[in-house]
Amino acid sequence: MSLLQNINLWGDDIPYLSGLREKSLISFEKNGLPNPKTEAWRYSYFREEDLQNPQIDNEPVKCDGHCHNGDELPFDALQIKYCNGKLHINDWNAPKGVTIKSLIEAIYDGDIKSYLNKSFNADDFPFAALNGVYLEQGLFILIERGTVLEEPLYIKYHNHADKNRLCNIRNVIVAENRAKATIIEHFCAEERALYTQNTVNEIFVGSNAKLQHYVWQNEAKNAHHIALNSVQVKEGGNYAAFYANGVCGFSRHESYIRLLQEGAGAEVNGVYKLSEANQVCDISTNIRHLAPHTYSNQLVKGVAKTKAKGVFQGQIHIAPDAQQAEGHQLHRALLLDDNAEIDCKPELEVFADDVKCSHGASSGDLDREQIFYMQARGIGEDEARNILVDAYLNEVFALNENQDISEWIKAQF
Amino acid sequence: MAEKPQIADYGGDKYKYGFVTDIKSDTAPCGLNEDIIRLISAKKNEPQWLLERRLKAYRHWLTMSEPHWAKLKYDEIDFQALRYYSAPVQKVKPKSLEEVDKNLLDTYNKLGIPLKEQEALAGVVAVDAVFDSVSVATTYRAKLAEQGIIFCSISEAVQNHPDLVQKYLGSVVPYTDNFYACLNSAVFTDGSFVYIPKGVKSPLELSTYFRINAKNTGQFERTLIVAEDDSYVSYLEGCTAPQRDENQLHAAIVEIVVMNNAEVKYSTVQNWYPGDKDGKGGVYNFVTKRAACRGNNAKISWTQVETGSAVTWKYPSCVLQGDNSVGEFYSVAITNNKQQADTGTKMIHIGKNTRSKIISKGISAGFSNQTYRGLVDVAPNADKARNYSQCDSLLIGSTCGSHTVPYIRNRNKSAVLEHEATTSKISEEQLFYCMQRGLNAEEAVGLIVNGFCKEVMQKLPMEFAIEAAKLINISLEGSVG
Repeated sequence: MSLLQNINLWGDDIPYLSGLREKSLISFEKNGLPNPKTEAWRYSYFREEDLQNPQIDNEPVKCDGHCHNGDELPFDALQIKYCNGKLHINDWNAPKGVTIKSLIEAIYDGDIKSYLNKSFNADDFPFAALNGVYLEQGLFILIERGTVLEEPLYIKYHNHADKNRLCNIRNVIVAENRAKATIIEHFCAEERALYTQNTVNEIFVGSNAKLQHYVWQNEAKNAHHIALNSVQVKEGGNYAAFYANGVCGFSRHESYIRLLQEGAGAEVNGVYKLSEANQVCDISTNIRHLAPHTYSNQLVKGVAKTKAKGVFQGQIHIAPDAQQAEGHQLHRALLLDDNAEIDCKPELEVFADDVKCSHGASSGDLDREQIFYMQARGIGEDEARNILVDAYLNEVFALNENQDISEWIKAQF
Repeated sequence: MAEKPQIADYGGDKYKYGFVTDIKSDTAPCGLNEDIIRLISAKKNEPQWLLERRLKAYRHWLTMSEPHWAKLKYDEIDFQALRYYSAPVQKVKPKSLEEVDKNLLDTYNKLGIPLKEQEALAGVVAVDAVFDSVSVATTYRAKLAEQGIIFCSISEAVQNHPDLVQKYLGSVVPYTDNFYACLNSAVFTDGSFVYIPKGVKSPLELSTYFRINAKNTGQFERTLIVAEDDSYVSYLEGCTAPQRDENQLHAAIVEIVVMNNAEVKYSTVQNWYPGDKDGKGGVYNFVTKRAACRGNNAKISWTQVETGSAVTWKYPSCVLQGDNSVGEFYSVAITNNKQQADTGTKMIHIGKNTRSKIISKGISAGFSNQTYRGLVDVAPNADKARNYSQCDSLLIGSTCGSHTVPYIRNRNKSAVLEHEATTSKISEEQLFYCMQRGLNAEEAVGLIVNGFCKEVMQKLPMEFAIEAAKLINISLEGSVG
């Protein structure tokens, strides 16, 4: 398999790290890439050749440093950069109570051991297994007990290389008990860039901690982007994710969220706007309610045109003893073109009787009457459509707690 | 607060159809091979083309593997341990009901299906009764024949109307469709055939009653319904099986062809033996049901009440090919004890202005597990297709599971698809309200559940609706309120 190549990675002499890589390799060799019969990938399936032989090498990509500079953002943020899949080391002035290290550093120090590779089973996530095989690039972020991080942490992934590099990144983010933080992931690329992004975030939310996670993706037309957010939430903790997906050849954002203890909650909201031909955008969620009184909410809305395909696969699982859990899920999509496609699989798996669960899905075109209403008031059809699409997606943007970030994404969306 | 009401566990067996009819049967030896298929074909005196089709299906089946994607857990089925043919021995082929073995008639009477054309039922329903592998009797034939309606067993149809059978058999469900359909195509023994000619509205509701009696026998029946232009028929299907400790296999195919402006209403009350409290025994029910709306303005409506079977795997589907055609699916599925059901529907929108509606009500109790699995697929040319789906689940007790897995695929912008689902339990208030008015807990649960299913029950023909309402109460006996 061309995806498995023998290259020298940093830290092969550390038994702990090489053990992790070995374990992932066994899993990946056993399960391989998803195929059309892999249920979790049923709509966003691709052949291995579609990946166009990603290059796996360790050479740094030439970069004049333009993507290392700080970005102008309309809000204060702590900035971290990845350039073509490599973490760019700056002098981070981490605030008190916050640790930010590269993955390798954290492995040397040993403080990542209780978290790394602990939140999911690699057999269930083929690309996360692949991610483990080349475990090297990544971050370890620890927000200590009770620390409230005022400034959001802004992580930017910039790609401009065109040799289809496999950008394999693993971030471990820990919000200890009562900690509060906001993470923004911004994936961007130059137009002609060609690469395969394979990101895994392992996120641990402690008791009564709160983590907001914004993902803004606007990449290259030919890029592949596969991401897994594997999240654990403890008692009274809350994890809130928001995805905004714009341009990207193939993208899949999977959330695997386990609500471990009473009162834990999660929100996953998202918007997608697909306008490139043959673009595929997949938002998959699997929220597992494993304790009583847990709650989750999902709202995903999307717009697709010109042969693009939008996919939503959501699963709410309620374990046998998770009484009085509440899980809601809604996916709505607009097809603006006859060639576009929307595939949806909102799934409920309920093993407890005293629960409130609902899911809904709808898809269709814009309401003719609404367009007519606007036309009757002198607004051209195209503009009317744009206004209606914006209004349609606004519902999701409005749910975001941090409206500065939300507005910043919306302005570019 | 008062103690949570507990519905008494009756302990005793409440499956009243669990008796065995002691009747001499002509059975094939256990196992499946080409010789058995030739034997079945020879017993039925079939034409060469049908035997060839069977063998072709069998050879294809050998290349297939059993599907495991459904949320069902059951012991591996040993297909070689089953008998593929069993027929009650009748001295001569009966010409009329008087000649049918009395034992058989008694069996059907016990099941509440009087084959004798009794005055009370006269003119209401025409019945085709299938006992193990063969059709025993079909009533009201003459009356139907006056209008040109053909209602007979599929074996007779093969003999008397070979052109129709050859044209339509396998045209909706090809033998390559799935593992169980393929097996059925190879070994099917009997079933019903209905042909409604152009412009005829069937004056009677047609009904088939299926009964598995013999031990270790698989039942593989095949139903084919063809409704020509401007015709209408309402078809009912009921099933039971004796209570046995080992599992019985039932793998049927129902094919329906609906032409221009025709309408077919297909109702099922499925009450195969569900196994005992600990999940011992019971029927494995793997059924492929599909209707093709070939003509414009055609309509097909599936209504099912699923209370029986240890394992149910069933997805009555509608292929909406004709413009303006309509597909409907109304389902109530009840599982108790260790029953498992993975059931739902497929709505394939191909023609323009096609409409479909799915109403599914699932009730799980005891240690049972139930899954609604459905597909709504809108092809690129299906302009203005419309679907509405609603799946509600009710859980009774904390040891059962209820799952919803809808697949929705839309490739046409003018299509409007909506799906809604909820999961809930019977609230204490509802129960309290009913009990305050003098109902016991069990009656109260029955009332609430019947109310929950009302939308579907209303779609059943009257005779069935009463039976189905009773069945719901029986099925839930012993579950905790």
